[in-house]
Amino acid sequence: MKRKILLIFVIAGILVSSCEKEIDANEPGNLVAKTVEQDPGLPFISVNGTTLHAQSFGNPSKPLVIFLHGGPGSDYRSALNASQLANDGYHVVFYDQRGTGLSKRHEKSSYSIELYLDDLSEVIKHYRTASNQKVFLFGHSWGAIIAAAYLNSYPEKITGAIFAEPGGLNKQLLDKYGESSRKLNLFSEATTNVTYYDQFFTGDENNHVILDYKMGLASPFSYAKGNEEGIEGPTPFWRSGAVVLDAFTDIAENEGFDFTVNLKQFSPKVLFLYGEKNKSYGLDFAKKEASFFSNAELFQIDGTGHQMIYFKWNHVYPAVLNYLKSQN
Amino acid sequence: MLGSAIQPVVGQTINWNSVDNFKNVINLGFGWDYSLSYHIAYARKLNTKMPVALNASFAIPSGENLVDDFKTKIGGQLVILNNANYKGAVTINGIFRRYESPLVRLHNFGSELKGSFGYYSTKWFLAAELGFDKAIVTHVKHAKSYKDNVYSEAVDGWYEPATGGNYILGMQTGVSFKKSDIILNLGVVKTQDLKSSPLIPFYLMLGYNLRFN
Repeated sequence: MKRKILLIFVIAGILVSSCEKEIDANEPGNLVAKTVEQDPGLPFISVNGTTLHAQSFGNPSKPLVIFLHGGPGSDYRSALNASQLANDGYHVVFYDQRGTGLSKRHEKSSYSIELYLDDLSEVIKHYRTASNQKVFLFGHSWGAIIAAAYLNSYPEKITGAIFAEPGGLNKQLLDKYGESSRKLNLFSEATTNVTYYDQFFTGDENNHVILDYKMGLASPFSYAKGNEEGIEGPTPFWRSGAVVLDAFTDIAENEGFDFTVNLKQFSPKVLFLYGEKNKSYGLDFAKKEASFFSNAELFQIDGTGHQMIYFKWNHVYPAVLNYLKSQN
Repeated sequence: MLGSAIQPVVGQTINWNSVDNFKNVINLGFGWDYSLSYHIAYARKLNTKMPVALNASFAIPSGENLVDDFKTKIGGQLVILNNANYKGAVTINGIFRRYESPLVRLHNFGSELKGSFGYYSTKWFLAAELGFDKAIVTHVKHAKSYKDNVYSEAVDGWYEPATGGNYILGMQTGVSFKKSDIILNLGVVKTQDLKSSPLIPFYLMLGYNLRFN
């Protein structure tokens, strides 16, 4: 009798567990947010053969400030503080770069620096309302590298630029910054957290959902206790772009890059921001990168590190506003 | 004839030529198995015509929180090619593993199938190994930090079909003396599409066996 009762419980347990709804990891919206292709309610622009998640704030006829987020493979969610500049007479534009955030995904082989610069040209064209409208670039980390690459190629198209810790305007500097800021301690929980999950989730090189999810799960590594970049804690983001990161990592390793060779041709003053607590950047690194320009101002953001725009916007804001006003 | 090591990372490695007089093997070891990991394992040889051993293992990775991640395996291995010195074995394990980070907690049931073939003497052995580790079903529970800072509508629950799989290709080698063996497993890890790899695309485990009755 006892055996029969036990058997009934076992069968009932199996039936109950099998009735629970199965969830597909590859279905957008389960593990990661849907992109503009999958969610028509998201703000977007269609440019250069892709669809970008984008928002703008302020009067469209005022000087444009195009924000370029970090990464490769991050998004602009943590930088929305910068929309405050709209109150000061600027048209502030944010967009998730191609293949990351909530923008449309593409095959890994399609990505290139030239394509990213073309996207930026088209974003500027999309938002520009007059040919004499001033255009400023405001780049953070990787976004600042893209800003420099754009100035290097099209110095005549831009009025001014703000660089928040680019961390590598050429391959040599990128390697130096990477070696300093991404130290792996094999005994640490932070390292285990970015390697151990490889046995739980795997995706091929264009499986965006799984790869984006895993890249997002790796984000706590950047703000682990004692991190070299002085990052205080988590910063919000919508969705990582893992294939973009992989593509640009391969491009940097295989082809190298140097976005500094023509920067002297850009004569207006540029602004370099660096966080006091970022041990990998600091004044010395900022001076080195600023030296590629003919006219650069350096400004330290006190009490923070690499994620200064999110954590210390109240310190970043006056520096950026003063710079923009000086260039108007 | 049963022999040397027990190896959680790729199933239990056994020197089938040095355990004639022993029924049990306890193994301790460490190495890289998707993280710097430490393991303990046990195998028991059965009294069967064809050499068979049942095994179980428990492994934890490095980190300040030692119990938030772990991997357990239970299964067995069977010698299907049993020449004097050249032997081929098949290992099948069921896997239960856990992962926790500031953003998510994962529980996974998986399986591991591994084949090995090589030369085994009473003093040493060297064999090639090929295996596949499948993450069959995974329970995902997102932390508040994920929902607050990343995606508020993330779905918690059991994820099917299989969420992942990795191949391993490598070698196992070891020396045997008295009641002991020292074993080394090393090789590469590729994801199931055979084009991409985990962040650290290799495994390496060093282990010590103690054989007893």
